Amino acid sequence: MTSPALSVSGLTKRYGNRTVVDNLSIELPRGVVAGFVGPNGAGKTTTMAMLLGLVRPSGGHAEVLGRPIRNPASYLARVGALIENPAFYPSLTGAENLRMFATVAGHDPAPVAALLDDVGLGGRGDDPFRDYSLGMKQRLGIAAARLGDPELLILDEPSNGLDPQGVREMRSLIAGLAGSGRTVLVSSHDLSELEQVCDWLILIETGRSLYQGPTRALLDGVVEGLAVVPRRRDDQWVLRELLVARGHAVALHDDRLLVDVDGWDVNELAASVNQAAFDAGMVLVELSPLRTSLEDQYLSMVQGGAR
Amino acid sequence: MSRLVRAELIRLVRRRTFVVMAAGSLLLSVVATVAVFSSAQTTGTVTRQGGTTLAILEGHGGGTEAFAVGASFTGFLVFVTFIALIATEFSGGTFRALLLRDPRRARVLVGKLIGILIVAAATVALAEVLTFLVSLALAPAYDISTSGWFSIESVGAALSNYATVLAGVVGWAIYGTMLAVIFRSAPVALAVGFAWAGPFENIVSRSWGAGYRLFPGQVLDSLIEGGTAELGLARAAVTAVLYAAIAGAVALILVSRRDVTA
Repeated sequence: MTSPALSVSGLTKRYGNRTVVDNLSIELPRGVVAGFVGPNGAGKTTTMAMLLGLVRPSGGHAEVLGRPIRNPASYLARVGALIENPAFYPSLTGAENLRMFATVAGHDPAPVAALLDDVGLGGRGDDPFRDYSLGMKQRLGIAAARLGDPELLILDEPSNGLDPQGVREMRSLIAGLAGSGRTVLVSSHDLSELEQVCDWLILIETGRSLYQGPTRALLDGVVEGLAVVPRRRDDQWVLRELLVARGHAVALHDDRLLVDVDGWDVNELAASVNQAAFDAGMVLVELSPLRTSLEDQYLSMVQGGAR
Repeated sequence: MSRLVRAELIRLVRRRTFVVMAAGSLLLSVVATVAVFSSAQTTGTVTRQGGTTLAILEGHGGGTEAFAVGASFTGFLVFVTFIALIATEFSGGTFRALLLRDPRRARVLVGKLIGILIVAAATVALAEVLTFLVSLALAPAYDISTSGWFSIESVGAALSNYATVLAGVVGWAIYGTMLAVIFRSAPVALAVGFAWAGPFENIVSRSWGAGYRLFPGQVLDSLIEGGTAELGLARAAVTAVLYAAIAGAVALILVSRRDVTA
């Protein structure tokens, strides 16, 4: 049986009296793009640093690609990482930096040009790193993490400090890293960013795990209601009356009827709405669930305690 | 280990490094040669620390005498260079980036040190060759005979000078690396290193003679100078090896045990 990409049990890190990571347990299956979500200071970077052998845990146990983290030399060749901020030698060019790090890791430096192309730095690979913009530095960091075609990528806040265009580019870059069985763990405090690219989520707060599992399961679990739009605009009021008569709580917002779940099963509610429209001879052009955003879900978890 | 050394050489062996290296060596050669030749005394048995004599300059080691004297002033330069190079690796995050590729921390530090020392050794060799050539060119102007400079003994003297200077450079490098690892910040490590090895050691040694034999900076300077009146070469070498072992152990233990958070 293949071991999980990450298996963390009771991992703890204390600095004096301050507990940064508190008895954290995670299991990350292989082949997913996982978002590691938490506010600033939640312990994301420290957890990643422990997984990468940079910081020693105060307690607990963890394995990366089936190897214990007390021996990072046994797995780091199969892991690519970008942690805290992209650190390169300012006087070397982007390509020279990549070749140097490939040499340290014992990787073939031949794919450096292709990696630079992949991250959109093909035309700037011969420029000194000190001349790069923040977005270019982050992209070079992604290229460096991909040296040696790693099975697991650990990326710490890769969009940090980027402008909206840069964030969008980084998102598409991360989405492109998925596939081929590669596992990606990407941390961020920007939930909307991760919601779009991650199929797995690990939510933490003050070093404790709040949720881990598929993104869809988290979001599907909280459907607030249904958005209903009849084809004829005049039918809105009639349909609203019909639904209220059936005992549903209905509001009109931006030309859409919003039907509250109000304890109903979502599928049953959809069937009831559809039936009411059908019986009245109406055609619906929209009947879709209204899901809580990841941000709302996360905030409700933080306020409501661990799950 | 060889991968780390090669990587460090990829970083350092560049045209700019070579230009700085060559320019620095040439400047040292010219300044040292002119200073030594113009201050050489016609008679006497002065030590190298206090100057030199025409008899020494016309002897087997005369061609590299200016190099030996000039190199005695470069120890401190090597010290601050290593502090800056290694401390910047910590504060700039590149040491962390290296550990993501090879997590054996002691190996990474030693590989980096060896890589820089290879470049330092080449610089010292270049400086010695340039000083010999400058000395050869300037000797007629100072009425110094160079006939004794092309013997087997002169090659031995040149190699001996090179070995003591390089040993001192290695010592200063390890000393500087230790401070860089302790403080992990170039400004702080430079301030401490500068204050200790500069004013403190020299001021205390002037009033406390044992300082010349005990302080690491004084010991390393004596080694580079090929021994001084206060501390002979053999004793300087043994003390320097002891200090280098302690400094190396402190650096390796700290780098292996500390969390890498920058």
